[in-house]
Amino acid sequence: MTGTSLRTYLLTRLALVVPMVFILLTLVFLLMRVAPGNPIEASLGGHVPETVIKQIEHRLGFDKPLLTQYGDYLWNIVRGNFGTTITDNRPLSQIIAQNGAATLELTFFAMLIAIGVGVLIGLVAGRHRDTPLDVFGRLFGIVVYATPVFFLGLMAQLVFGVWLGWLPTSNQASPITQALLQTHTNILFVDAIWDGDWAALWDVVKHLILPATTLGLATAGIFIRLIRVNVIRTLRDDYIEAARARGIVERRVVFHHAFKNALVPVITVVGLNLALLLGGAVLTETTFNWPGIGHALVLYLENRDYTAVQGIIVVFALLVVAVSVLVDFINAYVDPRIRY
Amino acid sequence: MAKRRIRWLAAATAVAVVAVAAVVATNAYGGSKANNIIVDGTTGTVVNIDPANEYDYDSFTVDLMMYQGLYGFPNGAKLKPVLATGCKHSKDLKTWACTLRKGVKFADGNPMTSADVKYSFDRVQRIKGDQGIYSLLTDLKKTTTKGPYKVIFHLKSPFSIWPYILSTNAGYVVEKSKYPANKILPNTDVKDLVGTGPYQLTKFTPGQQAVLTPNKYYWGPKPKNDGVIINYYSKSSTMKLALEQGNLDMAFQTFTPTEIAAMKKEKGLVVHSAPGVVIRYLVFNVKRKPFNNINVRRAIAYLFPRQTIAKRVYHNTVSPLYSMVPKGLPGATTTYKKLYGAKPNLKKARAAMKKAGVKTPLPITLWWTPTHYGDASADEYVEIQRALNASHLFKVTLKSAEWAQYSGALGKTYGAFQLGWFPDYPDADDYTVSFYQPQSFLSNGYNNKRMNKLINKERAAGNEKLRLKYIRQMQTLAAKTLPTIPYWQGNMIAVGRSNVSGIQSTLDATYYMRFWKISKS
Repeated sequence: MTGTSLRTYLLTRLALVVPMVFILLTLVFLLMRVAPGNPIEASLGGHVPETVIKQIEHRLGFDKPLLTQYGDYLWNIVRGNFGTTITDNRPLSQIIAQNGAATLELTFFAMLIAIGVGVLIGLVAGRHRDTPLDVFGRLFGIVVYATPVFFLGLMAQLVFGVWLGWLPTSNQASPITQALLQTHTNILFVDAIWDGDWAALWDVVKHLILPATTLGLATAGIFIRLIRVNVIRTLRDDYIEAARARGIVERRVVFHHAFKNALVPVITVVGLNLALLLGGAVLTETTFNWPGIGHALVLYLENRDYTAVQGIIVVFALLVVAVSVLVDFINAYVDPRIRY
Repeated sequence: MAKRRIRWLAAATAVAVVAVAAVVATNAYGGSKANNIIVDGTTGTVVNIDPANEYDYDSFTVDLMMYQGLYGFPNGAKLKPVLATGCKHSKDLKTWACTLRKGVKFADGNPMTSADVKYSFDRVQRIKGDQGIYSLLTDLKKTTTKGPYKVIFHLKSPFSIWPYILSTNAGYVVEKSKYPANKILPNTDVKDLVGTGPYQLTKFTPGQQAVLTPNKYYWGPKPKNDGVIINYYSKSSTMKLALEQGNLDMAFQTFTPTEIAAMKKEKGLVVHSAPGVVIRYLVFNVKRKPFNNINVRRAIAYLFPRQTIAKRVYHNTVSPLYSMVPKGLPGATTTYKKLYGAKPNLKKARAAMKKAGVKTPLPITLWWTPTHYGDASADEYVEIQRALNASHLFKVTLKSAEWAQYSGALGKTYGAFQLGWFPDYPDADDYTVSFYQPQSFLSNGYNNKRMNKLINKERAAGNEKLRLKYIRQMQTLAAKTLPTIPYWQGNMIAVGRSNVSGIQSTLDATYYMRFWKISKS
């Protein structure tokens, strides 16, 4: 019975993806068309004669009726063709592979930091409720959550880069490392390990610390509050009382019983936070000149390259939809109460 | 207990290994490998490296290291033969025969011949890239060869400045066997993107880095460094930090005036500066009211606050400009200064408005864009508004539009508007003909018969002296008829660490960053 309803749930959830993606794609398309000005003229500058602008408009289909453009746009996306940027003739697939890899590297380590910091402080604060440790944990959680990520980044650059001089403040690696390192995956951390180049790996790690910590801390605030509340609630549960009554050592009760159960909801939140992390990545990447997909988005926005902007936003949107569906699947699998 | 100790020991060993690796790493990358490689920072973006579709300054900076034309500016603002030993023109200036330099090789070791030169020009004309560089070859009817070392250019009309066109990347020579005839090579195709210049591209990561190493087949003097890495930044503040931290040896293009002022005071950094060729100017649509009245335009010219803009807005990183042709280029004059004074002159402005016969204060609208010429544009136009309003002759309304909208409107929609200019080639011709010819890109309705005659005469001038005479006359006429008011000339500014030498030697009116002249100790 449960298996059948789970399957129904999964199928319904998947079916809902179609209108969700359709609405997203339509919104992106319309917003790009509503923006004033001629995107071709704006992105190519003043040198290009009117005839050439017309030719490019024709090539890109900008001279077709809006409905035809919309149809072409959807059809291209279905075929996985996101187009080529106007300003530097880069296929969107290349941007996704190169810049996306950098974003993946940053968000992966940011998530590790967010989980590490969030879980540690959340557990301690929950375990020591209403003590100075708890107050510190809550305060820390609120501050890192409320502080804009770019401000946190600028402060980190100022303190650890400028005042203390401990860490580099921009890029994925130092210019020399980046120039010498062979490209295998576009993820420099992996490429350095791939080549067994430990010097490059250390350089990459040093460059990762500030941006990943900045982005991670912004997300850690949510984890701290969530885990703290869960720990407090779990510690009040009957089975914990029962464990204590059986004479199990307090430390074992807390670590083996309470903490493990308090961490279950984090799985859901990790997935849902991906959207937040991607949004934060745009700002973090710009602050640290991290060549991720968010950084590329800002550059193309500045250059009014609407094809690029449209493509990147669509990729972002599809990614968030995919992750939210995945999270729903995991939730439904873990918790049998979640069904349509 | 023993188990726990082993765990601690393992952890301590891991930390020690990482620490040793860190020290080794720091030495390796701070050591000999990096010693004579110049690491430069920029906030620019490379659009196309393939010269057949390159028409922006940031791509040009990379191309300048890799490619060469028959003519160029290898050592300063004076045009010299580069891949040619010289060109001779027919009496009517419609045929130019150039003799090629012998012994020139591409970066892959293949020799350069006239076939490559012809192929390069034909290719630009055939591809007609969307960046528009082919438009510089509009006057080229055809290119022919005579033996391996002679190329003949047949032009549609007399063209005195043809050697200048040969110096642009529309005339950069590429290897016939490497570059497809109908297609632009992608920026990442570093194996095929070869030229005859002092460097070759060895790695290009879009939006991140361009790596150039010396071309071992280069025919000219060897570069003073072992290579150049250009790192691309999205924000000048991040680039400034990288420079201060020593991650960059130098940075060129573009810091804000405030950042430059701050870096001038910093130890370990040297701010190099020389008059540049970027200009800013106000355009009038001479057919649109009230700017169709020459005396209204003159009154504005009398009141223009050039010094205030240079000092207050740009912290003297720009200089007041009194002609569309910037100081430093042959033929440049200061006719606006002569006609309207170096500083605002209220008395003369009043007289001009009286002649205009309009009621004062006259309401006018000035347009500017916040998204193309830097953040300082807003302050720039506030200063202009303040100066004009203070005269009580005008009541200025400022309006702005995003570049996407602005670039398509210009004179078609606006009566008076802000624009900037970076030349296609560093010659006065590019600062005059581009703006004063009928149907110019400004769409400002300016069509002056005398000016048109001067343009034709300049293009057909048999010698440089005569040509510059017409250029000067064009500037005088423009100052009198006022289709534009030039107001500042940007300095070429590069910031280097104190151990970097040679930067100052490349700063001149061409605005070329010749990296091969730069070294570090």
